[in-house]
Amino acid sequence: MPGPITIFSARKIITMDPAVEEATHVAVRDGIILEVGTLNECAVWGDHTLDDRFGDSILIPGLIESHAHLLDGLLWAKAEYVGPIDRRDPSGKLHKGLASIPALVKRLKEVEAAISDPTAPLVGWGVDPSLNDLPDPITRHDLDQVSKTRPIFLLAASCHIAYVNSATLELANYAAIKAPGVLRDASGAPTGELQEMAAMMAAIKAVASNLVGASTDAEQFFNFAKVAQVRGVTTIVDGGGSTYFEPAFLQAALAATGSPDFPVRIVAHNNGITVPKVEDMIEAATMLRGKGNDKLVFQGIKILLDGSNQGFTGRLRPPGYLRTGANGLWNRAPEELRRIVSAMHAAGMQIVAHCNADQASEAFIEAVAAAQAEKPRFDHRHFIVHGQLLNESQLRRMATLGISATLFSNHMYYWGDFHRTHTFGAFRAAAMNPAATALRLGVIVAAHSDTPVSPVDPLLTMWAAVNRVTTTGRVQGPRERVSAYEGLRMMTYNAAWLLHRDHEIGSIRVGKRADFTVLAHDPLAVEPMAIKDIPVRGTILGGRVFPTAG
Amino acid sequence: MNIPVTVIGGYLGAGKTTLLNRLLAHPQGVRLAVVVNDFGSVNIDAALIANRDGETISLTNGCVCCSIGDNLALALYDLAERPDGPEHIVVEASGVADPARIAGYAASHPRLFLDGIVVVADAETVRARVHDAYVGDLVRRQLETADLIALSKTDLVDAKTVQQVQEWISVEVPDARVVTAPRAGQVADLLLSGPGGHAVLYDALPGGEHARQFMTWSFVRGGVLDGDALRTVIAALPAAVVRAKGVVRLAEAPDRRFVLQLVGRRWSLEPDHVENRDTVVPDRSVIVCIGLADQLEPERLEALFAPVSVAVVPRAVKALLQGVERP
Repeated sequence: MPGPITIFSARKIITMDPAVEEATHVAVRDGIILEVGTLNECAVWGDHTLDDRFGDSILIPGLIESHAHLLDGLLWAKAEYVGPIDRRDPSGKLHKGLASIPALVKRLKEVEAAISDPTAPLVGWGVDPSLNDLPDPITRHDLDQVSKTRPIFLLAASCHIAYVNSATLELANYAAIKAPGVLRDASGAPTGELQEMAAMMAAIKAVASNLVGASTDAEQFFNFAKVAQVRGVTTIVDGGGSTYFEPAFLQAALAATGSPDFPVRIVAHNNGITVPKVEDMIEAATMLRGKGNDKLVFQGIKILLDGSNQGFTGRLRPPGYLRTGANGLWNRAPEELRRIVSAMHAAGMQIVAHCNADQASEAFIEAVAAAQAEKPRFDHRHFIVHGQLLNESQLRRMATLGISATLFSNHMYYWGDFHRTHTFGAFRAAAMNPAATALRLGVIVAAHSDTPVSPVDPLLTMWAAVNRVTTTGRVQGPRERVSAYEGLRMMTYNAAWLLHRDHEIGSIRVGKRADFTVLAHDPLAVEPMAIKDIPVRGTILGGRVFPTAG
Repeated sequence: MNIPVTVIGGYLGAGKTTLLNRLLAHPQGVRLAVVVNDFGSVNIDAALIANRDGETISLTNGCVCCSIGDNLALALYDLAERPDGPEHIVVEASGVADPARIAGYAASHPRLFLDGIVVVADAETVRARVHDAYVGDLVRRQLETADLIALSKTDLVDAKTVQQVQEWISVEVPDARVVTAPRAGQVADLLLSGPGGHAVLYDALPGGEHARQFMTWSFVRGGVLDGDALRTVIAALPAAVVRAKGVVRLAEAPDRRFVLQLVGRRWSLEPDHVENRDTVVPDRSVIVCIGLADQLEPERLEALFAPVSVAVVPRAVKALLQGVERP
């Protein structure tokens, strides 16, 4: 028995489908789009309820975050956000960026005063002195101003650095820890900056042990979903580090996403990161196929090739990193990678490959070329995640081999100046995330935030791809800017295609799921620089309205 | 007692696994923990397995083998916190890891310290591998960061090639310490140390093939040594010395016991963390050097170490001197 019909009205509906590009009404039944057009055209289906609440708003296809990490949800649950970037929390509240150490200390004092248990540690996340007005390192002396007795632990946005106060250093006995990542001042005393997990672990175990090890906390799933939903996301990727193959974790994920109140769909990549053997990755992916629910599906196996560019661990083609000529680190040896790619390709899997710098992309492209030669496959939809320094030759080979990409367009905004000055230099900083060339060559590309690395906010990501402007206002690589239409397509249809979900989401078309994002203004008509500031009024997921605060 | 951590590096196929297998099968009485990327890479004799609990396999000989999972720091933290903790930890770095970076984890807990970085290099392929566009820089880096290089598969190439590879390494890494090991497992015993590094002082090296490649030279003195002179000597030890252990008394702090640890190029001379006055040699200094049998020259070592002895100051005089200095 079909359910009731709802017709949503809007000032304008942007379908991203060339057949009917604009409309004013969309009819929905049982979570599926029945008709798109005028009220009369929709009313042909018979009895309906007209929902006018978004009558003065713009409806677009539900926005898709094509690369993110569930860790974001865990951080919101277990730690206080105190970073330099504006971020909205799961309730939709905006946390203004704290772009200086005095601002950070002031905020931490407020947080500290609100903790009733005098022994409870203060755990924060999101700090990143490289994005502060003055890039001075945070030291224990700064944090001791907040408290000399309460342990303080602040995790950087990159998750590669932590800053702690004297109380934490003492509690975890850092006097006896000789790891080189424990930075020390001239007198040999720890400064409070702990670089990499080797240096951080003792502090984490002492004051923030709930940040490591697989959590089955339901809150992490809801936080992950809500932070995205308040910025208009209807589908978000959990990018491959989670352990869904463990029964307790899968159970927790199914319970959370199975709730009618769960506000987004999660597409989870299978874990090829912490699982060493390709046979086990394929087995787990096969086992999880179809084990999800309406809001949780498993798609693709995620593998890591290199590190991060701002961490100087991405694998670069010559001449390597700026000034030093150094190169980064492989996560897996290229010859091992060739075996893994070949095995996954032959097993019919979709491969999702983290390739941050261009040598990593090159190695992946070559591995796919070899796998295609062994066993040609159409429509495998293997794709590269980040692909920040892809060049035209690589993109042409990708087009030939059927490889696509989700680019890290947010990087140009947040770290564009940093890359120009510290990692790549002027030319390569301008060459980052070449969306326009990719699209011109027929490579289907989306773009992502990689949250918690940068905030999940598809309109900001679209804005970054459209404007390619850094935080200081410099436009880098203007020819690689895409149009607003292309930018919106990257965040909707293209992302859906990458995730093998274009048959059901990614555009507003009869027969697809009724997943919409409700905006105050038309993202294709506003000034390109205003796209990121368009208020999100809500989302509609399978026909159900999820309002946003504010 | 603090736990030494050895990092084993080297490119894929160089022989790291052979070395780890050998360590687990013949731990020389040391309660050893081996931390690997993947259980599948080590080949543990089923008869040796006492039980398996998630990421840890316990062996009947008291050793454990753990997989890194996704967090090496966490694996090491858990080992350091175990009440029946290991006496020595060996970490397998992945074939493309920078061993120096992995070595950063060795001191991630107050109880752990880095004993040394041993890099296994395939005599047959290492020279070609450094020119590989993808991994050449990392293979070179592995050699550069090694405290000790174990040249493996030397039985697959002729003697002339082995010599050429050794010469090539000495040009690429001028201060390299190299041992040859047709099968990488043969250097396993060199890596082990008893609790705090004392056991090796009294245990003779195992015989056979191993003994033919290595020889030991011991230094035993009563009374205290001149710390500065000793440090100068150790820094100048010939490359033929690949491993040294010692417990010494130094004039600078005659009431403390100092422990010398040397693995190839890396050495430390630190006060013992746990002062146990009941143990042997309360007033003696003992240093054992293990070196390449065909290169180690005992006379040269005797001469090198000659200046480290200082005149014994009778306790009564010492007390008097301290009394005079006191304001």
